[in-house]
Amino acid sequence: MKTQTEPSARLSSATAPSGLVQQSDVHISFRNVSVSYGPVMALREVNLEVCRGEILGIIGPANSGKSTLLKCINRTIDFVPNARVTGQVLIDGQDVLKLRNVYALRRRIGMVFPLPVGLPLSVYENVAYAPRRAGVRQRHELDAIVERCLRQAMLWDEVKERLDILGTKLSGGQQQRLTLARALSLDPEILCLDEFSIAIDPVTTMRIEDILRELKQQVTIVLVTNLVQQARRLADRTAFFMAGRLVEVGSTETIFEHPQCELTRRYVVGDFG
Amino acid sequence: MATNSGSQANQRASHFGRFVDRLRCGAAMAAEAAIEWTIRLCGWSAILFVFAIFFFVLREAAPVLFGKLDLVEFFTSTQWQPTSLVKPRYGALALIVGSLSVTGLAMLLAVPLGLGAAVYISEFCEGKVREVLKIVVELLAAIPSVVWGFIGLMVIGPLLMDLTGAEVGVNLLTGGVILALMSVPVIVSVGEDALKAVPDSYREAALALGASRWEIVYRVLFPAAKNGLLAAVLLGVGRAVGETMAVLMATGHAVQIPYSLVDPIRTLTATIAAELGEAVAGGPHYRVLFVVGLLLFIISFIVNLTADVVVKGIKGESRN
Amino acid sequence: MPELCYRVAWRRQQGEFQAGEAFASFAEAAAALWAWQPQSETSVPSAQNPACTNAVEIWCCRQGEEAGVAPRPQYRFIVYGKVGGGGGNGSEAAPWWGVGEAIKGLVELHRSGVIALQPGQRLRLCHREIFATSAGQKRKACAENIARMVFLAMSLMLVLPVAAILIYLIIKGWPALSISFLLENPQQRMTAGGIWAPLVGTFFLVLLSLLVAAPIGILAGVYLNEYARDNWLTRIINLGVVNLAGVPSIVHALFGVGVIMFLAELKRKYGVWVPFYDRCLLAASCTLAVMTLPVIITSTREALASVPMSFREACWNMGATRWQTIRTIVLPNSISGILTGVILQVSRAAGETAPILLTGAVFSVPVPDHGWRAFVPYGLHDRCMALSMHLYTISTQVVNVPEHVEYGTAVVLIGLVLVVNSVSIGLRVYLRLRKKW
Repeated sequence: MKTQTEPSARLSSATAPSGLVQQSDVHISFRNVSVSYGPVMALREVNLEVCRGEILGIIGPANSGKSTLLKCINRTIDFVPNARVTGQVLIDGQDVLKLRNVYALRRRIGMVFPLPVGLPLSVYENVAYAPRRAGVRQRHELDAIVERCLRQAMLWDEVKERLDILGTKLSGGQQQRLTLARALSLDPEILCLDEFSIAIDPVTTMRIEDILRELKQQVTIVLVTNLVQQARRLADRTAFFMAGRLVEVGSTETIFEHPQCELTRRYVVGDFG
Repeated sequence: MATNSGSQANQRASHFGRFVDRLRCGAAMAAEAAIEWTIRLCGWSAILFVFAIFFFVLREAAPVLFGKLDLVEFFTSTQWQPTSLVKPRYGALALIVGSLSVTGLAMLLAVPLGLGAAVYISEFCEGKVREVLKIVVELLAAIPSVVWGFIGLMVIGPLLMDLTGAEVGVNLLTGGVILALMSVPVIVSVGEDALKAVPDSYREAALALGASRWEIVYRVLFPAAKNGLLAAVLLGVGRAVGETMAVLMATGHAVQIPYSLVDPIRTLTATIAAELGEAVAGGPHYRVLFVVGLLLFIISFIVNLTADVVVKGIKGESRN
Repeated sequence: MPELCYRVAWRRQQGEFQAGEAFASFAEAAAALWAWQPQSETSVPSAQNPACTNAVEIWCCRQGEEAGVAPRPQYRFIVYGKVGGGGGNGSEAAPWWGVGEAIKGLVELHRSGVIALQPGQRLRLCHREIFATSAGQKRKACAENIARMVFLAMSLMLVLPVAAILIYLIIKGWPALSISFLLENPQQRMTAGGIWAPLVGTFFLVLLSLLVAAPIGILAGVYLNEYARDNWLTRIINLGVVNLAGVPSIVHALFGVGVIMFLAELKRKYGVWVPFYDRCLLAASCTLAVMTLPVIITSTREALASVPMSFREACWNMGATRWQTIRTIVLPNSISGILTGVILQVSRAAGETAPILLTGAVFSVPVPDHGWRAFVPYGLHDRCMALSMHLYTISTQVVNVPEHVEYGTAVVLIGLVLVVNSVSIGLRVYLRLRKKW
């Protein structure tokens, strides 16, 4: 039931006709990754590759292991009490599951959650939080980072007059953009978004989608979404997960127009999920 | 805001280098680990201190406990004459009965009062009145025990002497009343927590069936919260048994089994407080007092353990 | 046997019943109810309150006598005009659906002997509104009110006597209370003067115990809420906290004495440095610290638990370590709750007597009246006086102490403790208004 496309031609940032993957472009690689929470298997034998500079959309019904996959990338699976992970997760060839210095890893990866979270600090401090922890002390450097990230997240114009307002006092859409700004503050190589649009209004969703399209060239984006059309709009390649297994992965056009798997076809047309 | 990806990559590399450098610094990671171990040690401090208390009290009591002390006499004889020059006797039965009787009397008064107040605060009053009552209960709990002893000695004692014609104001009844007033705040606050923990859905279901609030209390809440209420009572018992200054000042100094409510008595706690100052350090009297302390520690340990087990329920039983 | 006669009586609202003609038989009286059946709905006999208002009655009396009937009806039947369909037996659960049905039913019941009106008894027919309380509901409402009164009485029985006692203490101690009372040392063997020495002693005891207990307690709370996993080890630690809180205060004193003996022996036998080796301020403070540790631990845990988990997860995902997250987000946002616990610890330490009785507080220590030594009279290894111990001493050990001095000391001690506690409570209320999220 599981299909995978053959590695051959080089991907460009426009949608590739066949969604093919070349070894030198692989950024993240999952090899036989299985995750269990106690007796329950959340991911089974997942083999997946994410290319540099692309947006990989991950779709699938609930409980298919999509969020678990993201947690494996930046090792926040460690915080889940009885999670056990087997297999390898390679980022630039290095197995992150065996990494000792997880904190450095997490600084290379930005994460956006489903529910917007504003830390109870000023907006400035929210965005400056990660750089400060990483050792950036100079005021002018922090100013530059804060402005850059808020501009990238399309929040600058709304908050530039009141950077000292508490992050928790912003609206939901603003908080989600703030989370995005925080995620971008350390210039990550990888950006993971876990169903970022479920708690915000459609206008903000559209703006964030625009931001993602712009970011694509600098950052590899893994986008988990339960909105099939969002994947269609944004993703270069799409992977369909179900019940912890990777069912099919390929270019977005292939997955949506002529999927090879009956299950995939039924999901993308909305038969279930 | 598209920037040249080349320069961006360079920028990232330099940022990256700096951040990774800082964290590769072994000292930073080691400091983090040291902090975590300090915190862990402090976390174990409570249990360490409990063991330490047991150990040090046992250490002072051991020579006599495993030596010359006749445990049978200790638990069954009412002759407590530790300072006798002829033959010191260490019969603690009267003291034990004293402790139990004053605690029992206090609980008789405190449990209905405390549970009643808990029910009132939790179910029958709203808003401002509830806030005020809760604050009052908290302030009541804050009154120091020596002040309660003082009140028992100077106020309640003479009052009871007038009311009952007793010969002395410091007796079982005064002690019981004072201890009751001291234990009620514990019962009220723990009991109120237990009642609040019953989900609102229980109350709403009962209301939909047409129950009045009183019926909800005794048909729905008491059964549902009985574990927590029992724990509240047990914690009140623990407070009463362990109380020292109030009973020292309010119950008198007679080492005897009380035959009426107005007999003066002495509790285990008061005995230690009154006699340890004069006992020769290292002597048998001194060590027997530590044995009494050990007994008190064990009693309160059992009461607290039971309260905890009762609150958590037996493993596997379904809870709210 | 004199003949029985039946009168029909009616009333509007809560007025008096007005009796009409007398009839010789029950059936005739019942039939006459038709005549009282009014034209419109609103004047149908109806009950708007637990007590029926408009109602129709049949009275039974001896012929020739004036109607004298019992104040309450022997029989009561309900008519409920809005119930569809037939059936019903006039009871509250199954009322008759109209006056016609009612009359038929009454006659039937009388014929079968269910209704047997004796002279002086009355039978009432009233209309039930849909929301009128039934007798059962009335009973419940009554029980509820009784229950409410009883529980209120219990709460008041707790509060009022204590308030009365406190007021009595203040009245009796009033003559002694003044600034000089607080600032003067006890004189003439405690029968005169003030309470300066014990007051200073309590201050230092509390300060030292705070310095020892606060760091340990706060970090323990941090461990329990942030680092501890949900396993048996944590359960044991929680048990330890509860047990430590429940240890009798005199056993803490024994613990203190035991440690003093142990350290003294260490010093004697091996010559090592020990923090203390005899009864002194430091030993008493440490004993107080151990005793009040659980208060800080519990408050800290509650304060930390009130910070939402989502903040921590956001920080972890940005690469912050656990301690960095705690230091920068969790602790600063729970500092006020922690402070509440610390203040609570202070008030408990100030009031305790038993732990310091045998470990460092004594009957009397000469304290200078002037100079800087009046403010720092006790060294770490000196014995000290304490306010709580002083109250115990002057009320039980010393003779000839004027009553108002004793009451005054008690009032100062209570006042001190209550003021500190009120600050803690006030802080808690203030916090709730200033939430940052």
